[in-house]
Amino acid sequence: MIWQAIFAASPTPTPTPTVPGAGIFSSSLLLSITVWVPIVVAIAIAIVPNPRGRYDTLMKQIAFFTNLGLMFVLGVAYNQFQSFLPTLQYEERVPWLPAIGAVYHLGVDGPGMTMLILSGAIGIVSVLASLGVRERVRSYFCLLLLAQASVNGAIVARDMFVLILFWGAAAVPLALLVLGWGGHRRHQAAWRLLGYWGLGTGALILGTLALYSAAGQGSFDMDVLLKATISPRVQLAVGILMIVAAATRLPLFPLHGWARDVYSEAPVGVTVIVAGSASRLGAYLLLRTLIAAEPAAAHLLAPVLAALAALTVGYGALVAMRHHDIRQASAYLALIPGGVTVLALAALQPLSIAGAVLSLFAGGLAAALIVSVCATLSERAQSRSLHVLAGLAPRMPILTWLMVIAGLAVLGVPLLATFTSNLLTFFGSFKTQPIGAFAVAAGLGLGAIALASLWRRVLFSAPNPDAPGVSDASLGETWYLGMLAGGLLWVGLFPGGPKLPGTDSPLFDQGLVNVLSAGISDIASPYVLPTPGPGQ
Amino acid sequence: MKYTVLLPEALVVAAAVLVLLAGRLGWLSPGARRSLPAVVALVTLVALGIELWAGATLATYFEGGLVQDRFALFAKAAVLLTATIAFAVVDWTAEDSLTIGLAMPLLATFGVMVAASAGDLVALWAGLEVAAAAAVVMVAMRRPDLGLRLLVTGGVASALLLIGLAFLYASVGTSSLATMRAVLFSGTPTIALAIPVFLVMSGLAIRAALAPFQLASIPASLGASPLGAGLVLGLVAAAAATVAIKLVGALTPIPAVYATYLELIAAFAMVGGGAAALAAQSPRVRIAYLAAGQIGWVAAGLVTHYRSGLAGSLFLLGAFAVAATCAPAVMGRAEGGEQALHGMGVLRPARAAGLSLAMLSLAGAPPLAGFFGEFAVAAALAQSGHFALLTLGVFGTALSLAAVAGTMRAMYIQSPPDEARRTSRLPVLTGLSSFGAVAFCVVIAVYGIFSSPILGLADQGAEALGLR
Repeated sequence: MIWQAIFAASPTPTPTPTVPGAGIFSSSLLLSITVWVPIVVAIAIAIVPNPRGRYDTLMKQIAFFTNLGLMFVLGVAYNQFQSFLPTLQYEERVPWLPAIGAVYHLGVDGPGMTMLILSGAIGIVSVLASLGVRERVRSYFCLLLLAQASVNGAIVARDMFVLILFWGAAAVPLALLVLGWGGHRRHQAAWRLLGYWGLGTGALILGTLALYSAAGQGSFDMDVLLKATISPRVQLAVGILMIVAAATRLPLFPLHGWARDVYSEAPVGVTVIVAGSASRLGAYLLLRTLIAAEPAAAHLLAPVLAALAALTVGYGALVAMRHHDIRQASAYLALIPGGVTVLALAALQPLSIAGAVLSLFAGGLAAALIVSVCATLSERAQSRSLHVLAGLAPRMPILTWLMVIAGLAVLGVPLLATFTSNLLTFFGSFKTQPIGAFAVAAGLGLGAIALASLWRRVLFSAPNPDAPGVSDASLGETWYLGMLAGGLLWVGLFPGGPKLPGTDSPLFDQGLVNVLSAGISDIASPYVLPTPGPGQ
Repeated sequence: MKYTVLLPEALVVAAAVLVLLAGRLGWLSPGARRSLPAVVALVTLVALGIELWAGATLATYFEGGLVQDRFALFAKAAVLLTATIAFAVVDWTAEDSLTIGLAMPLLATFGVMVAASAGDLVALWAGLEVAAAAAVVMVAMRRPDLGLRLLVTGGVASALLLIGLAFLYASVGTSSLATMRAVLFSGTPTIALAIPVFLVMSGLAIRAALAPFQLASIPASLGASPLGAGLVLGLVAAAAATVAIKLVGALTPIPAVYATYLELIAAFAMVGGGAAALAAQSPRVRIAYLAAGQIGWVAAGLVTHYRSGLAGSLFLLGAFAVAATCAPAVMGRAEGGEQALHGMGVLRPARAAGLSLAMLSLAGAPPLAGFFGEFAVAAALAQSGHFALLTLGVFGTALSLAAVAGTMRAMYIQSPPDEARRTSRLPVLTGLSSFGAVAFCVVIAVYGIFSSPILGLADQGAEALGLR
């Protein structure tokens, strides 16, 4: 099944059979709905009177059902997505600021649809993980919805101005969430997040304006800006700026300084949204602006990207081994999927680019799962110290299973979505970036040692008699963590969608690898190696 | 019909004079005093309506002394909108005098309107001086020492401007801006032009409180009443920037005489404003430096000497005027350190939202008016190849955003203290001020998100200055 999925992921667009339910609902504003509905609901939550927190529960319900509704809309969009079309779908284009050449242009291709589904799923999980918030509930859910809308906006943007708008806007609500509801070191975490993401936004603005200036067509539309003929020197400068922007967001070594503090100090719901979807925008930006648009710079910078990927994976694994705080260790382990995604991009192979897109989805879920399960475990065990946490497996069976799945997902073992994405990544990258691929593989080996050590100490060693009392995950926690694990298992088991035995008709999911491959042929076209002729 | 276009100016001046007389001669009953701010806000709103209705007419008045074009329409509409919102949003219990608090902003508005429609150097200077004099009165009401300081520093700025403009007149041979532009098309950049332009730019930098020239403006804004602070930081700086844009429009044939000064001023203001805002502890100081940083972006747009750059600057100037004038007014008497704002998000949600949006807009946060303006300027800078200035501007904006996050934390994250322990009172709630705060939020948001027609009008304004 997995091999079939890998075959299906190779970017040769073919029509997929019609999915039952396709075409029952359509809206020309489908993408705008995913962006603006959370904003409108956030504003509504912010202005509705809430004397002495009387309507706190209602606020939580509104946020949850908004996300559920969005996920329904995204499910419809996913179901109706034409996976054999290389062009943009659900496109919206409205003239906005003709004076500077900005257009309200939204649209998704395969990678965009994959990211949207990830963001929708992460949105529901983050709200479920936030149901325990008791203080300033209105402000919390208002900011959470704004953050989610910003991420959705950055995903569907097809105009660099719109992209910058949403990319930059995501930092403020997330930093305020960390600042207002984080742990003891929340100030440091929030300032670091703002500082690094601000640096990244600055680099993105400068890169975009350099491109705008070099293209000379007075437009920020990606169809114009990213397809203009630019000199290799400008491409290189823009590429470096885009790498800086992406490295601050994903994050990549050495611009990962915010990750430890934010992942270990933010509330679980915020951690999920940052690790799961907001940070994946970094690799998504590289895919859109470097790999798809500047092949000359991509060829020059590919070894740099591979080196950054290897350093990120290796550094994350090594530091995770040395940490004695389970949340900080999980923060470093959460860097690993991002490193693998960047290696896939660095390979500049059609197969590995498909792997990178799948890795955006699977890596997002894996990173969100590892940081959230460790955060939940530390809350339930009333300690974050690995000197205190020991022998928890018998007393926390659900969290033990989830932590094992999370660790395996980070490593990319069979049956999980990350396995498929890692396989595509390494198949592509061993051809073109053998040293980088070997280094990342070695880093994954170190990651395995770090995880094994963590499991042994926390789960399977002798219990610590001096440790405070522990309890297993509640039903709510099991639900949201289970959704992340379920997503990884579902895509791992059915990457091409579930089918009736003996038929090619998908039951209700046309398969993520089919969806993500739409548009990849276009992105990968500059990197297709010439086929050797019969005489060669 | 031709003079209908001047009706807004007449309404504003008449309102100012009547309010001053009413205060001086004791014509106002207690009931009338309560409703006076709403009446004055209505007058400025009517003036704004007339300006938008009749202002599209192109005409000249007083033998070319005043010109009504798209630039004048844009700038006058922006300043009337600013005045309307400021009158509605201000906490009048925190002001020293109701009548002077109403009359001086009206006179400052009139000054900006005169500068915006000035056709020659005299009208430009006169408009700026009227606005600055009104600010001195407002500051002196509460702190005569700071008023005197502002007067002396303003006198220096005025002297620099007068000497510079006089030399410019002597070098070019005309005081008309349009004729000056026509003459300079065949001229070359000479030292005789560079020196007066340097003097004029220095004077304007002091008037606009640009770093490092904020010798008196920022201390004065700290000591003044909330509306007085808004006047110094917003309207006077907007008047100076309006004068600068009009002068640059006339000098664009020979950019070499001003571009280097402006680049330096803009770079200092953008980075210095952001850094100082980050270091500041008091919210009003922070607003002052954020305003200085954003007016640096306005100056940066002028460096391009392209129509797109000037249009971006003009658009940003409108956003700046509204945010910088109204931010201290929205904050009210919550002075001192940031602990004065603790819990404001819960206790005064509309005003807290207004203050947040104003500060975020001044810092250039997406998707607010300031961001759109700064981005329009940044696009023009990129097109003209000013990447060093652009990089410094982006850096300054990042610093400003980090500064605003601190104030937002105080308002929304920190719990409100016991009223007994609060060092300064939060703004008093009235129907008008609550409505004003909501209207202010809407204007700041709408100015950004629906910026296309506004930017289009700003572009026409830049075109009216003769740029292509």
